[in-house]
Amino acid sequence: MTIDAPVKENRVGGLAKRLHLSKAVVNVILALVAIFWLVPTISLLVISLRPESLFGVSGWWKVFTDPSQLTFGNYSTIFSQGFATGGVLDSLLTSLEITIPATLLVTMISCLAAYSLVFGSWRGRDMIFFGIVGLMVVPLQVALIPVVQLYREMGNLFGLNPYGTIPGVIIFHVAFGLPFGIFLMRNFLTGIPRDLLEAGRIEGAGEWKIFYRIVLPLALPAIASLAIFQFIWVWNDLLVALVFLGGNVHSPLTIFLYDQTRSLAANYWIVSTGAVVSIFVPLIVFFSFQRYFVRGVLAGAVK
Amino acid sequence: MSSVTLRELTKQYAGNAALSLDAVNLDVAHGEFVCLVGPSGCGKTTALRMIAGLESVTSGDIEIGDRVVNDLSPRDRDIALVFQSYALYPHMTVFDNMSFGLKLRKVPKDEIKAAVTDAARILDLELYLDRKPAQLSGGQRQRVALGRAIVRNPAAFLMDEPLSNLDAKLRVQTRAEIARLHHRLGATMIYVTHDQVEAMTMADRIAVINLGKLEQVGSPRELYDRPANQFVAGFIGSPSMNFVPMHVESIDGGIRVVSAGGDMDVILDDVESAIIRSAGVSDVVLGVRPEHIDSQPRSGRGLQLRASVEVIEFLGNDEHVHLSSGSHELVAIVDARTPLTIGDSVTLSASIEAIHLFHPETGVTLK
Repeated sequence: MTIDAPVKENRVGGLAKRLHLSKAVVNVILALVAIFWLVPTISLLVISLRPESLFGVSGWWKVFTDPSQLTFGNYSTIFSQGFATGGVLDSLLTSLEITIPATLLVTMISCLAAYSLVFGSWRGRDMIFFGIVGLMVVPLQVALIPVVQLYREMGNLFGLNPYGTIPGVIIFHVAFGLPFGIFLMRNFLTGIPRDLLEAGRIEGAGEWKIFYRIVLPLALPAIASLAIFQFIWVWNDLLVALVFLGGNVHSPLTIFLYDQTRSLAANYWIVSTGAVVSIFVPLIVFFSFQRYFVRGVLAGAVK
Repeated sequence: MSSVTLRELTKQYAGNAALSLDAVNLDVAHGEFVCLVGPSGCGKTTALRMIAGLESVTSGDIEIGDRVVNDLSPRDRDIALVFQSYALYPHMTVFDNMSFGLKLRKVPKDEIKAAVTDAARILDLELYLDRKPAQLSGGQRQRVALGRAIVRNPAAFLMDEPLSNLDAKLRVQTRAEIARLHHRLGATMIYVTHDQVEAMTMADRIAVINLGKLEQVGSPRELYDRPANQFVAGFIGSPSMNFVPMHVESIDGGIRVVSAGGDMDVILDDVESAIIRSAGVSDVVLGVRPEHIDSQPRSGRGLQLRASVEVIEFLGNDEHVHLSSGSHELVAIVDARTPLTIGDSVTLSASIEAIHLFHPETGVTLK
């Protein structure tokens, strides 16, 4: 088995060659596509930086001719509320309280499960894996009502009803994140040569050492992808939070923004400012993990 | 360093009727270099992995030093294994790769550094200690894999075809390097290869395995001169020994063996005739090595063969001549100055000492 990733030709160059285009033309096209995609985000940012009073009066693109419209007024209003219950920052905190544990748990459990599925030697590993793949197609909505009932039963039996609490939301997200997480990690781990584990075993590493000294570092690209996916899914989730957090005074950003739009007259300044705040966290996560996407981490392992 | 002993070692994989390893007995002395050779799938790698503890033992015993290690985990067997793929940890530097085992054993830092530096000096890796495996050439990676084994100072080194991923020139170099390393460390080494040339050049003794069975154990010279059976005779030596089925005939008190078309015949002396008679066979398989075929006709006893020249491979000092004798194909190595051209009819010979005779059914050596 060879793992060496062939040195990839510069992608843009390769594409240009095949289409007989010069590299410059390709870059221009790519730039246009990128700008086109960014327009809604930029407009959101600009709207959040203009006074509410101008919203119904003129389009956001007017700032390009009149930059004096720009103000941090909306942001200072929001931040001056501090962490008061029901405010943007309170919602930001609640979103983090849900998303961080849900992401960490899914990543950790997926790695452990995938390790066992790939390198374990117990019977029925493949059947379990097929079952997990099957679970990936179950739509989340199917489980909402049964899980609410399950939570209530837990309350009746143990006096611990997760319904309406943040752990209740986290548990649901973890349960629905795991099938994909295990699928992704398992497929990645099958690419790690068994020889590496055996070498570690001979040198004196136990199962746990092999897992975190050899397998985990090699799986970092997959772990980073999974963490980013999972983080963004949970961060953007509205439905699960609405169902399971009903009545809780603390709500995540998605619910906060949703509440602002459904009033008779939407608070566009809050919606745009809150939305920009809610974009920031996933951006930070993405940029801090993206360096692990570097390809060819396994190059040089064998042969 | 210690000895390694296999007693009736047997391996059967679940759901597989055939034995992958069939009651193999082998004594590897302290400091000895033993090669396990055989064709692909013969069980030699299985044997090595069983010694390492990566495969379970179906029956029999493995002893390292004087303790039976059947049920010990790999890490408690005090052996080092060099993998065919090298199995270097790609995310660690050369230094970390070589020191991984020592760190796990909680060896003090300065001792680790001393051991790694020492090994790096022996293997000429001092300049590469900070690099990752991906930044090394194949030969360097191979040396790191060796270094990782050396620093642990194990009871025995196990090597699984460590040279098979190197190009021909590097393979010859590294072969010498491993032989040198063996002398320098005085280590017990068990080396698996399918390449009989590697085995012949490096080993103190060679164990030939075929279909899970140990065919013969002996020094390279013993295996070459006195193969126990037709398989070993054919496996050791390159180009391999010529085999021709022959018929046994009695002639005035002695025995002559002759090929089907009558193009090849051997006149045996009294001792050999007696052996063939006592074996009670009417057919034998004749074996003669290409390098033992003489381009002159026979004088006295021995093999004489009439053949036509089909292909001549010029190699500088010698030529490999592919011959067709009746319905049989043979190869002979002759001096490059022998005047031969394709299509020639020639009469060649081999001395009686160079002739091997094998039982036609069992393949056991008769002479």
